[in-house]
Amino acid sequence: MDSSTRIQHLLEVSNLTKYFDAGRGRKVHAVEHVSFAVDEGMTFGLVGESGCGKSSCARTIIRIYEPTEGTILFEGKDVSHLSQRILQPLRRDMQMIFQDPYASLNARMTVRDIIAEPLLAHHVVKKREEANEIVFRMLERVGLTREHANRYAHEFSGGQRQRVGIARALVLQPKLVICDEPISALDVSIQAQVVNLLREYQDESGIAYLFIAHDLSMVRYVSDAVGVMYLGELVETAETDELYRNPLHPYTRGLLNSIPVANPKLARQRNQSGIEGDIPSPIDPPAGCRFHTRCPYAKPICAEETPLLKNQGNGHLCACHLYD
Amino acid sequence: MEQKWEMLSSSNEDREKIWSRSRTFAGDVWFRFRHKPTALAGLVLIAVLMAFAFFGPLFTKYDYAEQNLTVVNIPPRMTVYDAPDGNGYLTITQNLKLLRVDQDGRLGEQLSRVRDDDARSMTIFDCGGTEVGLYYGKTPYKVCNPDKLTVYHHRTIWNRSYLLGTDALGRDILTRLMYGTRVSLMVAFVAAFVNMIVGIVYGGISGYVGGMTDQIMMRIVDVISTIPLTLYVILIMVIMGSGLQSIIVALGSVYWVDMARVVRGQVLSLKNQEFVVAARTIGSSTRTILFQHLIPNAMGSILVTVTMLIPSAIFMEAFLGFLGIGLQPPLASLGTMCNDATENLRTSPYQLFIPALVIVLIMFGFNFVGDGLRDALDPKLKK
Ligand SMILES: Nc1ncnc2c1ncn2[C@@H]1O[C@H](COP(=O)(O)OP(=O)(O)OP(=O)(O)O)[C@@H](O)[C@H]1O
Ligand code: SF4
Ligand SMILES: [Mg+2]
Repeated sequence: MDSSTRIQHLLEVSNLTKYFDAGRGRKVHAVEHVSFAVDEGMTFGLVGESGCGKSSCARTIIRIYEPTEGTILFEGKDVSHLSQRILQPLRRDMQMIFQDPYASLNARMTVRDIIAEPLLAHHVVKKREEANEIVFRMLERVGLTREHANRYAHEFSGGQRQRVGIARALVLQPKLVICDEPISALDVSIQAQVVNLLREYQDESGIAYLFIAHDLSMVRYVSDAVGVMYLGELVETAETDELYRNPLHPYTRGLLNSIPVANPKLARQRNQSGIEGDIPSPIDPPAGCRFHTRCPYAKPICAEETPLLKNQGNGHLCACHLYD
Repeated sequence: MEQKWEMLSSSNEDREKIWSRSRTFAGDVWFRFRHKPTALAGLVLIAVLMAFAFFGPLFTKYDYAEQNLTVVNIPPRMTVYDAPDGNGYLTITQNLKLLRVDQDGRLGEQLSRVRDDDARSMTIFDCGGTEVGLYYGKTPYKVCNPDKLTVYHHRTIWNRSYLLGTDALGRDILTRLMYGTRVSLMVAFVAAFVNMIVGIVYGGISGYVGGMTDQIMMRIVDVISTIPLTLYVILIMVIMGSGLQSIIVALGSVYWVDMARVVRGQVLSLKNQEFVVAARTIGSSTRTILFQHLIPNAMGSILVTVTMLIPSAIFMEAFLGFLGIGLQPPLASLGTMCNDATENLRTSPYQLFIPALVIVLIMFGFNFVGDGLRDALDPKLKK
């Protein structure tokens, strides 16, 4: 495929690797050789257990962290090694919603100032007062009222705070929003509200999401395509329907089995309950297939050779020796 | 209400409404602060002392530098003898003269000396035509009738001319105390302010930039903090000469070390918090991040450190004054007043006690306020 015929994705991540220094010469292998793409107006779901490197991946993409290796193409432009100064105007089109609605809002700022901050940073408005109309509209858009504008974040409930965080991410009308587990800190009753808000906004504006979650149930509902991460690596990726209909990787199957099912008959039919064992340390991950310490189908080769992501048809990629 | 269990219609407005009163962070802190008696007492104490220092001089008829050698070392509570002419009282001054004192305790003119009577260890004065003797053969000295050798009836009364007495040069101690407190507070405030600015800038840069810069900057701080501050301040004073400016420079250039450490620690812990990361992903400038996110959130600890720094500055200033390398006379500060008092410590201890008491009160006040602030800013104690 030469570059002229290549379809341009909104975001294309290839071979992304991020190591953290863990002291004494050791490294945390937080993200390794991750590749995926997000198209305009689409949602890519990234799933994996806690600690598998989802946030690190997101933060490297949005360049809070320097990538150790790999490229990040945003609208065809390589942003992986741009300086923060050159990156600044590009940030307008790529925003982030954070996992923790408490820690991600400054307690000393009113909601008005929080939502106006991106507008001021990108010179959409010159003075804080000019931002008022936009801020009010945005507040109403996320289901809050203009009376909330003068309140401080600590006066809000978790769900309300997260909506303030969403308003802050959307106020610049970016092309891509990285949602780093936007609902995992919220009550179940509020989760659907927030997800629906994000979906409605997508229908209206054609925004793209990189939606991160640690269980597959919510991701199915929001994503067009899903990637499954295990210990820093992408082990399987496919269109949402394909992945849920035909999960290939043993880890994905384990994750799917751990989704609670409302029907008790169906629940009993399941052969096993999720995945056994603990996630190994990312400081020195297992050799070969990283999942072999917990995989029920592990073969001798699994401990020696790293399986590569291979196309199993229908654009369904899976890294497992079972499908060699 | 009949149908208690009937659903009320509710709009989105109601659901999202925040029913509590809006309270800013500062309002919150103030609420907790004023529910702590010691903190409030400290605040009131400081307010009273400041009013005393800044408005007091408007109400006194003396000047802090005005000397009156006839009324040297008069205590606030005087021993007085009935005047034989029935015209008020007489009191003995330190240089063995007799002063008239009226019924209320106001000082009058000095009696004129008639002659010395060395044989009987007496000085004879003329009091409205009657001769009175000042017997100095044995302490305490007494005022007596030189003929009958009887001591006049005596009592102690409050000094109404000089409420807190006079010092060794006959200056009003109350007036000097007002000016002294003013100078001490001013020195402390200016020094604290300078320290705060230097500390915020130094600590802020060190913490925010991090890495090697941080290492080097903090090692410099470590080195500075191993030098005993007192020694350092004295050296600066000796080099720059005594005077108000040099005290401010000396104090201002020393105490920022603690402040820099506090600010650096705060910035270091804040800069990786999610809301700062969020500001970076938004694309906010370093300026916005520093002045809108980091410093406002570190302000609590900064304020506590400043209120704790003020009493140390006051104490250091008093200490320098006491050593005699502080202000130049006739300027007064609490320290120089203590220093002046040491000459007459035996006969006039009040001259030391009064400024020392004010130093103690200031220290108490600021320490209480600092403590109260720290507690009020501690989110774990949120009520
Ligand atoms: N700044 C950092 N420095 C060192 N190690 C880090 C850093 N950030 C993350 N890590 C490590 O990288 C690994 C991946 O962490 P990450 O936060 O990306 O996981 P996650 O998938 O987002 O988990 P969660 O679902 O709990 O948010 C973890 O082992 C974590 O300890
Ligand atoms: S490669 Fe082997 S260990 Fe890894 S998931 Fe496949 S079967 Fe299991
Ligand atoms: Mg995370």
